[in-house]
Order: sequence, then C-alpha cells, then structure tokens
Amino acid sequence: MHISEHPVLKEKSNEKVFFYFNNHRLEAKKGQTVAAALMANGIRKLGVSRKLSQPRGLYCSNGRCTSCFVTINGLDHVISCTTLVENNMQVFSNNNDPEIRGEKYGN
Amino acid sequence: METDLLIIGGGPAGLHAALTADRAGARVVVADESFSLGGQLRQQTQWLSNLPGQYGYGKKRGTWVNEQLINQVGASNVQVLKKHTMIGSYLNGNIGVSDGDKTFEIQSRKNIIAPGAQEEAKVFPGWTLPGVMTAGAAQILINREKVLPGKRAVMVGSNDFSLEVARQLNSCGITVEAIVEEKNQIICSDGELVKTLENVPVYTNSTIEIVTGAGEVEHVVIQTPDGLKEVNVDLVCIANGFSPILEPFEIMNCHFVYQKELGGWLAAYNIHLQTTNPSCYIAGNAAGITDFGSILLTGEIAALSALEAMGFISSAEGTEQKSRCWRELANLESEKVLQARTEMLADYHQKHELDLPDYFMKIKGGKMYG
Amino acid sequence: MDKSTIVCRCEEINVDEIETAMKNGAETFDDIKRLTRCGMGPCQSKTCLNPVREIIAEYTGKPLADIRISRMRMPLKLVRMSALTNGSEGGNVASVFGESVEDGETNDE
Repeated sequence: MHISEHPVLKEKSNEKVFFYFNNHRLEAKKGQTVAAALMANGIRKLGVSRKLSQPRGLYCSNGRCTSCFVTINGLDHVISCTTLVENNMQVFSNNNDPEIRGEKYGN
Repeated sequence: METDLLIIGGGPAGLHAALTADRAGARVVVADESFSLGGQLRQQTQWLSNLPGQYGYGKKRGTWVNEQLINQVGASNVQVLKKHTMIGSYLNGNIGVSDGDKTFEIQSRKNIIAPGAQEEAKVFPGWTLPGVMTAGAAQILINREKVLPGKRAVMVGSNDFSLEVARQLNSCGITVEAIVEEKNQIICSDGELVKTLENVPVYTNSTIEIVTGAGEVEHVVIQTPDGLKEVNVDLVCIANGFSPILEPFEIMNCHFVYQKELGGWLAAYNIHLQTTNPSCYIAGNAAGITDFGSILLTGEIAALSALEAMGFISSAEGTEQKSRCWRELANLESEKVLQARTEMLADYHQKHELDLPDYFMKIKGGKMYG
Repeated sequence: MDKSTIVCRCEEINVDEIETAMKNGAETFDDIKRLTRCGMGPCQSKTCLNPVREIIAEYTGKPLADIRISRMRMPLKLVRMSALTNGSEGGNVASVFGESVEDGETNDE
C-alpha cells in the first residue's frame, strides 16, 4: 500500500507509471523501484529460490542480497530493489535460473 | 576516464570528501551504484545531533543534510557517475566500473573508497520468507518509496537503529507487535526513544523460533523465558547491527584487521585514513561503524590526506586541517567507538613504524593513550 | 536452532550442511564454500558472511576475531557478460583466476 500522508516528508511528485507484473497491469509512482512498486500493489513474493523453489522477496533493499530477482523486459535476474519502474515495463517473477543452453544462445 | 581523485560511494562520507577535494581545486569523480546520491542518508528522517561545526550545532534531519550535500555537489565541479558500480580493478591499479551496459577503467591519482556498511543478518527458520527484511529495507520502503511494507510487524533486535525504525514504522501506521531481544535487556541507549515505544511488548532473553506463512510472512513464534509466544504479523524486520563493507578493499589488496567495536573485520588504515594500498583511502562506516558526524569527518580527513599527497594543499595546511578534524571527531564520537578506533590506529602505526603526530597524541588531553 | 535452517540464502545451504563440511575437515569459510557452494551464489557471500563465521566460531570454540572472511573476487557485483565485453576498453584486468595472495598467506594486518 502507498503511504498517502507521510509523517515527515512532503510528496514531491505524484506522477503515475503503469507497468505489468506477470501480465497484470499495475500502477506505480514515478521514482519508485520495481520491488517497491510491486509491494505497493500487495505483491511480496517476487520469485522462488533456485534449488528448493521456496518463495523469495525483498530482503536488503540495497542491491546486495539478490533475493529480489525478477525478469524485466526479457532480461532474467534483474535486481528489482535498485531498478526504477518505467511505463510499460514487463516484469515477471523469477521462477528459474536463466536458460543459457537454449536455442537463443546457439547451443 | 581520467581524474585526480576517484571516490567510490556517493553517501555522506563520499560526498563530503568530494566537496572538500573540489574546493581545493582537484578534479573529482564520484561513482555510485544507485540512481541517486546520498546512500543510506536518503531515508534517515530522524533528527541527527552531534553534527560537525559547519552544519551548525543544532539538530537536523538526515534527509535535510542529504539535500544540502547533494545541492552543494550539484553546484560544484565534481563529476558524478550514478548507476556506476565498482566491479574490480585492473593490473595497473585502476578501478573498473560498470554502468550495466559497458565496463571501463578510471585512471586516478588517488582513490577514496567509501562503500558504507551492510546490515547484519540474523538467521532463524523462515528468515527467507517474503516479508522478512532488514530494518533498513523497511525504512527505505517507508521513507524513500512511500510504501508500507506491512501492517503488523515484529522487530528482531533492540539496538538504537531497531528502535528508531520501529518508531518510524509506527508513525506510518504500522503496528509493532513485539520487539525481540536475545540479550537480557534492551540495547538501545536512547531513553527518550525507548519511551516512545513504551506500549510495545519487549521480549528479552528471547529469539525467533520460526516464521511461517503461505508464500509470505503470516505467523511468528517467539521463544521467551516464559514459553512460546505467537503473533500474527506480515512483517519481520531484522536489525542485528552493521558491519563495514569489505569487498572493494579486498580487490584493491588492502589488509584487514578485526576490531569488534568498529563492526568486525575492516580495511586497516592509518591516521591519514590511508589503507595499506597507498593509493586507496577509506572513509565513512567502512572505516568503522560510527555516528553521522564521524562519517562526515572521516571523509574530510581522507580527502585532506589525498589532497596533501597530490600537492593540492601544503603539508602544513593538511596537518592543521586534519588536526582540527580529529579533535572534532574525538568530541563527537561515542567513547567506545573512539577507543576502538584509536587502539586500531595505534596498533597500525606501531606495526608500520609510523609516528603518531603530536596533535593526535594530544586529543582529549592525551587521555586516549593513557 | 533447527539444523535445517537456511544460512546461505542463494545456494540454500543449511546449518547441518555447514557443520557436516567441518566434520569432514573444513576449517575456513573458503573450505566450506568449496565443499558445499555456501556463499557461491549471486550475492557472493555478502549476506551469509558473518552468520557462517558465527557457526564456525561456535563449532570450533574459537573467538570470532580468529575466524577469517571468505575470499572475495571479481566481479564484485552482479554484472552481465555483455557489459564485461561490450565497449570495454582493453585494459588488463587484475588476476581473476590466479590468487594475488599465495597459499597459506593472508592479507591480515
């Protein structure tokens, strides 16, 4: 949920951004990170772990732990807590390791 | 790319160092991995006291100081590289940065590495579930992103930062259901801060037994001396203290020391904030976890040392300015951290057979050195 | 604590696996890393560094000050292969495979 009235900080801009998560159209505020924009829409599970397929979400919010991996515009393993959300961004859950032996890479 | 001084990290230490060097006429590049400057200062809405003289002696909000630093950097000749991450070094000693599309080296005469601190994890069953995050992450969400990370929270840890974040979560409408501390009492030294949370149950001598939920946090079991306590929450914040970030220093072949009160392992340095790699200086929380005033002052000392080494200021001026900074730092910094820092510095100087200058020995009337 | 608790979030290595590695002769974080992949995932032990050190300290009875950190290598942060090759200037990157520190030598002060 968005904080409508922050106890300390004044809102500088309320410009809206529209993006997609697993093909669902969602609204965010300009200047938010992808992880925060998803959280504002009540989405906390961003993907699953690589071995045991356990749910993962934002943990450090500083680009260090890589727990918040998502796929953005076709690029796998993007750290969503340090990536700003943009209009029409196509975001998908991180459900596997990237396919590196596929046809796409000529193997 | 080529410059006189390269600063890795655009948080308060890096920015303050950049401004100091810019004023002396050096060409300065600041590289920061984020899309905006300020580092962790960006979300510190609380009042900071003990600021160095130039910010006035009154209290200021962290976010206000951050704006001042960014505005000053904007009005200076400092070249800022946002979204540029240090990823390694080249054989010639140059630092390599990447902007995500390309990688290049920056040739500099001196470097100041100011990557800051990281939050320490606390491992318990279920800590990998979405909804479990560091206290700093929750603070970023409310203050930078203006997003609520949950409605009901458990705070793991009771240090100054834990309680400050708990208070801020509360002020945004999140109910803090419990503060869980494994020690036998609240760690926070700020009585006023503790008082603002007097309605929150504090469980001392307690640990998290398990966090469960279907795909995200729903339920927390706390092991207390009176048995198991269960709470239904959707947010668990881990505040287990900070430790200096190490990896850029390892890649620059800097030596490390262990100093518990400074946050554990850290790159060793002398009173000029110079590491064992003569071209690399250190500043901010990476040089030991401390308060905000000392973060700025270590940045200033590192910049003055680099300026002196490059000939932008005379050795006499460097000594005079650094002596002022150290005196100010000794007055601001908490006794425990200052003690650990001076101990580490004395060891370093002894080991490398470097004299400690007179001004340093006289800090606090020489009391620090018995 | 439950021995099945995950310590390394990336490679999902639990307390039991770390202790088993030590039973099998691992003494340092790097030994554990090589035996289990603990700390070898995308975060490169940034998150589990000190939790693992604490487990080593507890298991060996040594003070935390004596438990060294894991060896950190380039690239320091997640970076695409394309960013490492595209448009890179042809400088010589400092040793990635060879160690700048000889076997048994540490860079402790």
